Amino acid sequence: MARIFAVLGSLRGDRLLVEAPEKGITRHRFPARRDERFDAPGEGIKFHIRDLSLFYGKRKVLENITIDIPERRITAVIGPSGCGKSSFLRCLNRMNDLVEGCRVEGEVLLDGEEIYGRDGDVTSLRRRVGMVFQKPNPFPKTVYENVAFGPRVLGIKDRGVLDGIVENSLRRAALWEEVKDKLREPALALSGGQQQRLCIARVLAVEPEVILLDEPCSALDPVATQRIEDLLAELKEKYTIVIVTHNMQQAARVSDYTAFFLIEKQGDPGRLVEFGETGALFTAPADERTERYITGRFG
Amino acid sequence: MERAAWTTAVKVGGMREVEPGATGAAGGGWLGPCGAQARVEKGVRRGSVKASAAHRRAALADRLATAGIWALSILALSTVALVIGAVLWKGLGTALSPAFVFGKPQAMREGGGVWPMVVSSFHLSLLTLALVVPLGVGAAVYMSEFAGVGRLARLVRFGADSLSAVPSVVFGIFGMVVFVVYLGLGYSLLAGALTLALLNLPTVMRSAEESIKAVPRSYLEAALATGCTKWEAVKRVVLPVAVPGIATGAILTAGRIVGESAAVIYTVGLFVRRVPWSPFRPAAPMAANIWHMYTEGALVPDWFRVASGEAALLLLIVLTLNLVARTTAKAVRKRMGYRD
Repeated sequence: MARIFAVLGSLRGDRLLVEAPEKGITRHRFPARRDERFDAPGEGIKFHIRDLSLFYGKRKVLENITIDIPERRITAVIGPSGCGKSSFLRCLNRMNDLVEGCRVEGEVLLDGEEIYGRDGDVTSLRRRVGMVFQKPNPFPKTVYENVAFGPRVLGIKDRGVLDGIVENSLRRAALWEEVKDKLREPALALSGGQQQRLCIARVLAVEPEVILLDEPCSALDPVATQRIEDLLAELKEKYTIVIVTHNMQQAARVSDYTAFFLIEKQGDPGRLVEFGETGALFTAPADERTERYITGRFG
Repeated sequence: MERAAWTTAVKVGGMREVEPGATGAAGGGWLGPCGAQARVEKGVRRGSVKASAAHRRAALADRLATAGIWALSILALSTVALVIGAVLWKGLGTALSPAFVFGKPQAMREGGGVWPMVVSSFHLSLLTLALVVPLGVGAAVYMSEFAGVGRLARLVRFGADSLSAVPSVVFGIFGMVVFVVYLGLGYSLLAGALTLALLNLPTVMRSAEESIKAVPRSYLEAALATGCTKWEAVKRVVLPVAVPGIATGAILTAGRIVGESAAVIYTVGLFVRRVPWSPFRPAAPMAANIWHMYTEGALVPDWFRVASGEAALLLLIVLTLNLVARTTAKAVRKRMGYRD
């Protein structure tokens, strides 16, 4: 019995790469550096994405996205508006399921498990892969109830436990000091930046493994943006972070890896042009289109 | 066409009447800072921007339209005021006397009260709300969150819209045939409540659906993103946010139920002397009783006093309900932290 569990355990995470060659994922590949093996010590891959295509009805929004998202790193997704970067992000926690007539092809593996599998459970997937949205969207409840929302849904009723989770989550979201005296006040009374950090705390409260952020700073002023960026740098110690941003400076500042998406011409699906370490991508892009985009010649 | 309009504007004298000083300032900027400044100041002193003839006509039309809209709204308001005023004029004195409100009704004698009718009205509307609100809100949740754009949803919506166009007297007849006679409930509050529930289901459903749809989509998404099921998200986030709207709809429905007469006449009753505490007993909601007093009032010598007193009382109740609906919704939204 113990052996079975050991084998099962070894099926998780990057070890799968070695042990499940039949899945065709024996190596981590980055399109930008096809010949290099991604073998930095102690680093795993959180999401294996293979030939992901996304359709809204008949319209193809994304085509053949193949990308490996490293664990406990910040991966930024950049590209001009309409290139499908938000849609891509929403594939990772199946938020696209809400869209009528949405269809996904290809493979998305979270720690080696197919998230679009037939017996895949959306709820537990989303618990592991939290999401923060473009516009701060705290519930019209108190600050406390916002953070306690996820744990309550999980069935935690004990006051003391909830208090602990709320404080802990707010601390990790660098918001505790500002709101510890206002836990019973409506969340909508907070400033925009505080609301966004509250949304991050709300996600942290269910102990996710991945945090997806969809342009989290686009509605915030530079000071609030700065605080969120600092926060992300702290959070990557524990969490895998994928951030969509239209702001290239932000991608360059906060991320370890950057993916550049592009839509070739009107009506085309979005495609991944280049993916690599942020420093390399911004200083020596392999693709000429990436270079044109990051130097501001279009988009 | 556009061009023609432009030409007319010019012909009519649409050119801006520019002060010569101002033109000089604009054209003479090259003269150097000092000269230009002097000329500008001169221009400034010459007066403000003048309206062209076209603009003057537009301004006149604007004033006329404003006056017209004002007059129409005053007319609309004054008819409402007239109705309310007339009802209160005839009945307020009676309606405000406790002996009338809490008194026993009389037949063949003057000085009767309407307490059983008041209780009937409230009892009937509470009973109806208890039936129609869960049903309507349930249907609304299904329609707005789970049904999507399927055929069933379209059918339900079409059915609801058709139902809301049916006159209430038809519901009354239906209620009498089905609930009173066929199901053997007799003339009773329950038969009336069932009938009124059917009558009000479309509006309750629609208003609840509107309140649910008014809840920002981002709340649902945020809830789902923390990993809860759709039902949990709806139950814990969407519905609570929609509650002020749903409650407003329910209270307004209560007002409509209290004021409904046609459907009640055939299912509940017209006149009672005992206070109807049981839902299985006949009752006489005020609206039905008013009708009864006017048509068959001969049995009550002071039928006109009773009817107008009841009418005034009914009006006060409905107005209060509407006021309560507004203020509670506002208060709840404020507590949630919305800054309207």
